[in-house]
Amino acid sequence: MSRADVAPTESSRPIRRVAILGNPNAGKSTLFNQLTGLRQRVGNYPGVTVEKKTGSCELPSGQRIELLDLPGSYSLHPASPDEVIVRDVLLGLQDDTPPPDLILFVVDATHLERHLYLALQVLELGRPIVLVLNMMDAAEAEGIRIDLDELSRSLGVPVVGISAAKGEGLGHLRRIMDRDVEPSTLRFRSWPPHLLRVLQRLDERLPRHPLMPERARDDFALALLLDDGEDDALARSAPPDVLEDARILARRLDLVSPGWRGDEVEGRYATIHEIVERAVASPAQRRDHLRDRLDRVLTHRIAGPILFFLLMGAMFQSVFAWAQPAMDLIDSLVGRCAGLVSSLMPDGPLESLLVDGVIAGVGTTLTFIPQIAILFLFISVLEDSGYMARAAFIMDRLMGRVGLSGRAFIPLLSSFACAIPGIMATRTIDNRRDRFTTIMVAPFMSCSARLPVYALLIGAFVPDVWVGPFTLPGITLFSMYLLGVLVAIGVAAVLKRTLLQGGRPLYVMELPSYRAPSWRTILPGVRDRSLLFVRKAGTVILATSICLWFLGSYPRHTPASAPVEARLAAAVASGDSVAVAAAERDLDAVRLEHSWAGRVGRAIEPVIEPLGFDWRIGIGLITSLAAREVMVSTMATVFHLGGADEESASLRDQLRTAVDPRTGERAYSPLIGVSLMVFFVLACQCMSTVAVVRRETESWRWPILMLVLMNSLAWLASFAVFQVGRALGLGT
Amino acid sequence: MSGAPDGALDTLDRLRPGERGVIERLEGEPALARRLMELGLVPGTTIEMVRSAPMGDPLELTVRGVHLSLRRSEAMHIHVSR
Repeated sequence: MSRADVAPTESSRPIRRVAILGNPNAGKSTLFNQLTGLRQRVGNYPGVTVEKKTGSCELPSGQRIELLDLPGSYSLHPASPDEVIVRDVLLGLQDDTPPPDLILFVVDATHLERHLYLALQVLELGRPIVLVLNMMDAAEAEGIRIDLDELSRSLGVPVVGISAAKGEGLGHLRRIMDRDVEPSTLRFRSWPPHLLRVLQRLDERLPRHPLMPERARDDFALALLLDDGEDDALARSAPPDVLEDARILARRLDLVSPGWRGDEVEGRYATIHEIVERAVASPAQRRDHLRDRLDRVLTHRIAGPILFFLLMGAMFQSVFAWAQPAMDLIDSLVGRCAGLVSSLMPDGPLESLLVDGVIAGVGTTLTFIPQIAILFLFISVLEDSGYMARAAFIMDRLMGRVGLSGRAFIPLLSSFACAIPGIMATRTIDNRRDRFTTIMVAPFMSCSARLPVYALLIGAFVPDVWVGPFTLPGITLFSMYLLGVLVAIGVAAVLKRTLLQGGRPLYVMELPSYRAPSWRTILPGVRDRSLLFVRKAGTVILATSICLWFLGSYPRHTPASAPVEARLAAAVASGDSVAVAAAERDLDAVRLEHSWAGRVGRAIEPVIEPLGFDWRIGIGLITSLAAREVMVSTMATVFHLGGADEESASLRDQLRTAVDPRTGERAYSPLIGVSLMVFFVLACQCMSTVAVVRRETESWRWPILMLVLMNSLAWLASFAVFQVGRALGLGT
Repeated sequence: MSGAPDGALDTLDRLRPGERGVIERLEGEPALARRLMELGLVPGTTIEMVRSAPMGDPLELTVRGVHLSLRRSEAMHIHVSR
């Protein structure tokens, strides 16, 4: 049949799986993007937040291959989740990703010695491998001459020189990939005999993993020996009694030969030194002039921090300013879409569900995208250019006082725009405890969704008077931001001493050379992050908004709504448009009050009364679970105002003059306004954040802890503000 | 203090910017020491202090042509001879 038309190479050979591997900053992603073009997918390895990038490409023979971009790694004996994945894939412990048929090992030609360390570890696994020397142009510019043939002879594998960023040498690489590459037959191990004996003893007891390459068994045994009990992936791969044996053997080695952990490393570097001596001629004095010049300014004692803060200020400002037009555009498109749907469909529950539930939910998800995309654009440029490592270098000491690493600064700063991209940005923090602590405190930074609420309450309750050079509303707003930061510092300190305590992790970080960022790497990354957010968090946001739509809209007809409905019918009949509008606003208010959300608002009144809040605020707290700024429009509905916003003078007046129907006194005081703002600073109300925390921590434990912790703190703080304030007679 | 003779043993954090030393041995937690060695800090290697961060910590060092940043608390465990 038509099968016969297919080229024999296509059908007879299974698709080859090729993995790109190397140290961080070797240029793996650039090569990956060059080889695959836009044919790539980003997913996750199961159970961890390590990105799995795959793509496909066609070789000169017409054969298609599947390409896997493994995360950057320094060693087969891992120190981060990224490195655990690399080890598990290469040793055949990762069930969803078997060891690749061919490895493209990418090294930075200007830092050959260090990059060959992992290369040698991987060569010894006995898999087919091509050594790809990247940045040959930079090596040449520095006067480094590398004898590729000699290197190929010493290592027993094909060696190709390329400049991935310029696309040089890729044709040659593709042709080599088309050949049948044989694994290196050379052995480089110089493991001391006492270590070998122990490894052999352990090896006999190890379970057989079907995917594990035969020559990887020693490395598996060594991994068990080196494990300090924190490596969950390893713990799953061997029975407990073997793990226990490995621990006993390691302790015995510690006594017999205290330096055994390092002996193996020293041996490998000695081998590398010999190989490099034979193949590479470097000038005696190597200087990277661009690095020297830039670092003299960027990490300067005084200029460095100033430039850093200016840059951060500009970035923060841009995330706010540039995202706004796009967010407004999305808002108006979503509004138009909602308008179109309501004009095409008859009024009724289905129309309401689509407009106020589904379209509103999709709209909320979409409005996050400009901020996420712009923030990641900045972060990727900073990362790709090499500046990010300098930022962490500058900030580490300051952040260290709070118990966080320098890398936590940018995610936390971003959280002032929105905690969601901020939490997603914590992926640049490689230590798990530091990363989780940062995630847990990020939502305390006052995000842009709180601003409308602050603006409404300050406008309503804080008198516009001057205090020295500042205005009282300005001071109040600043205090709210400051409160969030101070509480975050406290919570981080407590978490680092309790749930997330542990030895201070190794900080060691590479300061890479500066290079011009490449759009080819940056833009796909920004796109992938945004799509990932839509796919994973979007569903939760949509579900939340449909739920809240239901709670806020049902039951529609209640005894309380009947007279207003009759009034509306009468007004429609008489054709009095003013009366119709008034009746509609009243009906919305009555319906909301008697809806499930309204009932919950009333039901929680006893809980929030000690904070000074009544059931109307209660309803606002319920509906703000969809997004905090919804509080403002809910208050407008509750006060029969229709579509008012935080700038609306009538809504401010309503809040100021609202009367408690039971006492006949003023319902809200400035003190209640402050108490409510404090609540908004500290409470975890944003279900989108909860969804992202669930995603980024891969467990429900942290989002639940976050909900409980933040809301308890919010309640206690508001309680203290209101009760102490009332006792002192402040702002009543 | 600053007048330490050549060949004297010291810890890495006490090198001055621009000064070089040869790594003699690594102490501290075995797993961390091994990691530093994997990054190229094996005994016998020359290491140069480049600078310290604006607030005095961490440090920037070069080893095997690679620029690394270490905290003083980590550098204290690395013994060097000048």
